[in-house]
Amino acid sequence: MELFLCYLTNGIVNGLIYAVVALGFTLILGVMQVINFSHGLLFAFGAYFSFSLMKYVGFWIALPISCFFVGVMGILIERLAVRRVYGKNPLFGLLLTFGIAMALEEVIRMVWGKPGHSVTAPDFIAGVVNLGIMYYSKYRLFLAGLSALVILLVWIFLERTPYGAIIKAGAHDSEMVMALGKNLPKMRTLVFGLGAALAGVAGVIAAPIHSIRPVMGTYVLMPAFVIVVLGGIGSFWGSIIGGLIFGISTSLYPGRFTDIIPYVLMALILLWRPRGLMGEKSILEV
Amino acid sequence: MNSVVWQWCRKILGSPMFWIAGFFAIFPFIPYIGEFISMGTEVLIWCLFAMGFNILLGYTGLPSFGHGAYFGIGAYALGITFKHLIQGVWIPLILGVLVGTLFTAGVGLLIARKRGIYFALLTIAFSQMFFFVAFRWDEVTGGETGLSGVDRMSVGIPSLFSIDLSSGLNYYYFVLAIFAVSMLVIWRIVHSPFGRVLQAIRENEVRTKYVGYNTTAYKWASFTLSGLFASLAGCLHVLLQNAAFPEVLEWTKSGDVVMMTLLGGGMVNFYGSILGASIFIIFRDLLSSFWESWLLLYGSVFVIIILFIPNGILGILTQKKGRAVLK
Repeated sequence: MELFLCYLTNGIVNGLIYAVVALGFTLILGVMQVINFSHGLLFAFGAYFSFSLMKYVGFWIALPISCFFVGVMGILIERLAVRRVYGKNPLFGLLLTFGIAMALEEVIRMVWGKPGHSVTAPDFIAGVVNLGIMYYSKYRLFLAGLSALVILLVWIFLERTPYGAIIKAGAHDSEMVMALGKNLPKMRTLVFGLGAALAGVAGVIAAPIHSIRPVMGTYVLMPAFVIVVLGGIGSFWGSIIGGLIFGISTSLYPGRFTDIIPYVLMALILLWRPRGLMGEKSILEV
Repeated sequence: MNSVVWQWCRKILGSPMFWIAGFFAIFPFIPYIGEFISMGTEVLIWCLFAMGFNILLGYTGLPSFGHGAYFGIGAYALGITFKHLIQGVWIPLILGVLVGTLFTAGVGLLIARKRGIYFALLTIAFSQMFFFVAFRWDEVTGGETGLSGVDRMSVGIPSLFSIDLSSGLNYYYFVLAIFAVSMLVIWRIVHSPFGRVLQAIRENEVRTKYVGYNTTAYKWASFTLSGLFASLAGCLHVLLQNAAFPEVLEWTKSGDVVMMTLLGGGMVNFYGSILGASIFIIFRDLLSSFWESWLLLYGSVFVIIILFIPNGILGILTQKKGRAVLK
């Protein structure tokens, strides 16, 4: 029982990180109709930036700075490349970001080296805490709290600010929004930057629980795909629920075939609900 | 009588297919480059893969990003048949293609209603599922280390003649024969009434549906057909390498075949995928043997091609006013 609870908690914690990554992914997908293959790499860059910065400035400063840098990377990617493939065959955006991801992964290898590094959790949240039923890593709890906070902030941004309204409207009918005098290209850049920053923040906070490696981007990208398909494309709550399903289903039965479980779940859910769990509503409907 | 023969000759000589097959037939005897027989075989295999894939991408307009999976399933099915069931060439080959096609058909049933970006996402997710199965199911697939020892045997008619495929040159011609036949078959498919319906779906699926075609069934058939050629290519690839590794199923392979098709201009010309695959394989092999960080350049080339020559090489060469359309 205790073991089960431990696995379950692990699953929820992992699921929340996956949800943050998938949220950024689904934002870009839902608003711009671009499958961002470089999303995993942005996650990896978040981790590597914080790895380098933490030596000098500590965790709390490294977190926002790395996050900001990754956001800027996202904006640059959108401005210089992705912008040109809006509205074209989805494979163009896919291959474009795929190429960017390959090149960036090589950049990581050149800058930080091929072998992995380990990042130590900040001191104030090292160790374990007694939850009454079991002992649990403080850092993982902190991680879950921070992920939940980020998710909440994104929700507030989309639901309670005029920017969120414009972005959602732009995803529905871009022509109308532009006719109303809103600067949609700028909004799209902003969304791409925001999505990238979400990947970055997930990378920073996940770095201490995994060792950081050049290929880590790929390992986090595939879950994002499955989560988005599971939860429904462009759906806010879909990616949260999908993330939790992914996290829990891969944590409950550790074993050889663990990786396959979410994919089987995905196939089953697609048979039952072809648009994913929350997919019946239109793009970015919260 | 004479004029009929003459017309046939003109028809054959005028077809790029004849020249492509002819070029590959004399390739081993070209000085210097002819020595790279195994690379030549690989080029042929990828050309076959890309051509089959183009039925789906270029002619039906469905963006699949998971065809590496069917390539890999064919490969593994051949390897497993060879290791555990029966040794030989034809039976494992046929079984490999059959299993690969069946898997494609099954996945096709789930995703044939979709199109556009959702279709692409689903193909990626399914290909990743198959990758994990191959990666983890050690007992059958050999897991990370893959299947090795898939030898090439002899083909032929017993007591009449037999060709030993373990020789690189013989295998090259074996692949070339399959490639040439497949090229003809694919040409027939895309230029048949069936192929016309696929093109109609690409141009306007809703309208095609209203004209009375069951577009879902056509899309499924197109997906399955491209899976058939993908698994055929996968089978030939296993025999070339004498081994199957989980990497053949990875999504980077799926990306490669899409890139080949786009690079050559598969979206605007039937032969684009052949040109693209040839250039791609040669470029990749040269690059990876000369520079350790070749992926940096490789990724950048992807970006440049998509941004600046989205219609591919044949797209530039045959550019006219207005949009080029694949016929």
